[in-house]
Amino acid sequence: MDFTIIAETNGDSLHPTTYQLIGAAASMGSNSTVICPNGVGASEAAKINGVEKVISANGDCFNIFDGGAWASAMSSMCGEMILISASPNGREIGARIAAQKDIPIIQDVVSMSEGITVSRPIYSGKAMESLTISGSAVITLRPNAFEAAGTGNDAPINVVDQSADVKIAIQEAINKASERLDVTEADIIISGGRGMGTIENFSHLEEIADTIGAAVGASRAVVDEWGMPHRMQVGQTGKTVTPSLYIAVGISGAIQHLAGMRSSKYILAINKDPDAPIFGVADYGIVASWEDAIPALKSSLSELQS
Amino acid sequence: MAYEALDFYDVDSLLTEEERMVRDMVRDWVDEEVIPNIEIACREGVFPDEWRVALGEMGVLGAPLKGYDCPGLSYTAYGVICRELERGDSGLRSFASVQGSLAMYPIWDFGSEEQKNHYLPKMASGEWIGCFGLTEPDYGSNPGDMITKAEDMGDHYLLNGAKMWITNGSIAELAVVWAKLDGVIRGFIVEKNDPGFSAPEMKGKHSLKASVTSELVFQDCKIPKDRMLPGVKGLRGPFSCLNNARYGISWGALGSAQACFDSAKDYAMSRIQFDHPIASYQLVQNKLSWMLREITKGQLLAYHLGQKKDSGDWIPEHISLAKMNNVDIALEIARVARDIHGANGILDEYPIMRHMANLESVKTYEGTHDIHNLIIGRHITGIQAFTREA
Amino acid sequence: MNITVLLKQVPDTTAKITISGGKVDENSVSKWSMSPYDEYALESGLQLKEKTGGNLVAITCGPERTKKMLTDAAAVGADTLVHISNDGVTDSTHVQKLLAAAVRRFDSQIVLCGKQAADTNSGSTGPGVAELIDAACVTLVTEVNYSEGKFSTIRPSNSGTEKVAVDGLSVFAFDKGTHELRRPNVRGIMMAKKKQVESITSGDLGVVLDSSNVTLNSQNPPPEKPAGQKFEGAEHVNEVVSKLRNEANVI
Repeated sequence: MDFTIIAETNGDSLHPTTYQLIGAAASMGSNSTVICPNGVGASEAAKINGVEKVISANGDCFNIFDGGAWASAMSSMCGEMILISASPNGREIGARIAAQKDIPIIQDVVSMSEGITVSRPIYSGKAMESLTISGSAVITLRPNAFEAAGTGNDAPINVVDQSADVKIAIQEAINKASERLDVTEADIIISGGRGMGTIENFSHLEEIADTIGAAVGASRAVVDEWGMPHRMQVGQTGKTVTPSLYIAVGISGAIQHLAGMRSSKYILAINKDPDAPIFGVADYGIVASWEDAIPALKSSLSELQS
Repeated sequence: MAYEALDFYDVDSLLTEEERMVRDMVRDWVDEEVIPNIEIACREGVFPDEWRVALGEMGVLGAPLKGYDCPGLSYTAYGVICRELERGDSGLRSFASVQGSLAMYPIWDFGSEEQKNHYLPKMASGEWIGCFGLTEPDYGSNPGDMITKAEDMGDHYLLNGAKMWITNGSIAELAVVWAKLDGVIRGFIVEKNDPGFSAPEMKGKHSLKASVTSELVFQDCKIPKDRMLPGVKGLRGPFSCLNNARYGISWGALGSAQACFDSAKDYAMSRIQFDHPIASYQLVQNKLSWMLREITKGQLLAYHLGQKKDSGDWIPEHISLAKMNNVDIALEIARVARDIHGANGILDEYPIMRHMANLESVKTYEGTHDIHNLIIGRHITGIQAFTREA
Repeated sequence: MNITVLLKQVPDTTAKITISGGKVDENSVSKWSMSPYDEYALESGLQLKEKTGGNLVAITCGPERTKKMLTDAAAVGADTLVHISNDGVTDSTHVQKLLAAAVRRFDSQIVLCGKQAADTNSGSTGPGVAELIDAACVTLVTEVNYSEGKFSTIRPSNSGTEKVAVDGLSVFAFDKGTHELRRPNVRGIMMAKKKQVESITSGDLGVVLDSSNVTLNSQNPPPEKPAGQKFEGAEHVNEVVSKLRNEANVI
């Protein structure tokens, strides 16, 4: 099977996902051709094990993200099986290439085996589906679901000039500090309870929230007694939330609080009381005071983000 | 979170598509705007003005009335609306009942063409709130003996007397007031700025706290001659309004009952005692099963009555039965739900105590439970038991 | 102008998904709703129509039950309702071809859709349809504006957001929009009830649905989560964070 990978980039270098795309192809016993849009990360890609050749695709069309233009600039260089990151841009390029070549696209794949058989979450993870592909296809892979390939290779780099019709023009960059999300719309929520000691200490949770794009929530005690805004309250009389990750800090887990967050996909509880009921619903529990755990959590998460 | 109602016999599948769309519209609004704010409204003792605006925008006020910019829905749809509103709170449903059945309806049925054109469009849009003055401090179940009276002064009427327990009184633009003119009960439209009229709010309620309840006081209240409703004389006027409102209550109470059932079920499933959810114990299951049974019967009763209202094939006794039964079971369901919630049931974290306290009023207003029993007793025996005189 | 909105009916995001016989059991879905991002596309289409005039065409491809969603769209203001039968449809490529053919048939100047549907979570439809109708596509947009014959939109950028303009026929795939969604009202519902849903098939659209080279093996419940893990002391924070990434895949 002949795999083409469209590199996911991050500024001037490759995004870690690119290593995973190459690792995934390698796990299928295949070397891959890596296309680097605008040449970004081409020399880095040449060093990754399992890469047969790197195509540095250069051209003005890559100066702005237009999925249609990018796809038509790269589509002709793609082989039978095309792997792309399931990032927003990756999904868009993938869908474009698939439509252009009239081949199927399978998005957000989390495992891949001989056949080719792939599986992917559907209904926001409430179910999984397994599909078998015969023939050519575009597959986008979920970041962090595949083993990354190592380095030490020295693959050749072909520089190719491409052009495509760009239909999108940037009129204005709007730089704004992204607003913190509301608890009902965030994919990650970090909530504090009475164990936070004072309302001022919520600034530590806010910092973490801003690092990972999370919303900040609160238990009823904190809303009622410390005057936290009611819209932040999670629980029976507050909001019912179902994020992918709910981080409960200094929240004991009264039944009224659990009613609002127990359907979260994953729950991380941090509490110094090892018998706190919150540990009964937590997937991951850390018995520690927030003063000890939160700084460590912050540095660990910011490391991941960088 | 999309609300999934208990509907054991799929009674809602009998609704028309239009009725289901109206149901979903009101249901979503109640979930998004009412339930998150109801406890604060109760604590502050106010009916949020945004709710008046939203009800007008959705176009559900005066639901079954046709023409004059009124919605023109079926009586079944009106019932469904009441049920969805009362799942939020009985005070909210009371607002809609009074506006539609007690204030708009008499103008629509008994008013002059000028009165209809003048009042109904603005009442349907929610711009003007109406109220209904029948009950007096000393005449509740016995409205025929009311003492509020109107005098014909040639170029105007003069009203004297007082009404009590008037939902929406202090926030109303107009009141439909029943008073005796030369000994005969007639309907009058009183506007809030009419001289000699005042509507002080009654405070200190432990029930329907998110609803405004008032007195209406008339001291030589002067109103123009064109404010009398020309189309009706006697108790038939207020009673036909009450028939419609009571019909809505028979659906509304099911909304309260469902809210209590939902909360009790969720609580029983998540409350662990003796290492197991209390829902796994037989006594609790018995209670939940009984709730489901009564709600299902109530739903069938309400739906069938709705069909009769829509076909016109009904008598007031049909409505008495449904109002009496459904409020009665809703109140008992609230009490049993409180029991399942244990001590937590008294907290405002759960809707239980609020619905329970509300339903105590609902049991009494618009014909008390006992009066409805007497209406049915009279229907069975042909003997009225309201008074000592034969 | 013809404003086309592509809509999909999905199990309500709060509904329970039941698997039986290796497939998601659609009959057990308690409530079907318009896919949430599609609602923002529809709202934006309605606002555009109110400003520029025109006709809002709501198109869906699916089984009979999806007609109800079109009626819901009409209750808030959709003018033309188009249901494409999903007979013979086996993959997203088919859906894109049918939608693209319908967009052409209704001579749309602009196509709005959600960034992804709440059932498949793929996000292929917007860009895929754009490719087939030779249109520009901007994804993850929050609003769309029209002035002097040009559409502009807001999409995320590395440093926040950016306003981009597009030329010609364009597809916009919506994230959660900046506009609040409107509620239906009784008047809208009564008008919607009278509106006909135009039903068309792949044959009517001249689209040949060739056999797909993707086969569905099975649909299954997600793997059981491991039992809760408890760690004593803040020194385990790093370990837990790496589990959140690699085990739970949530950060």
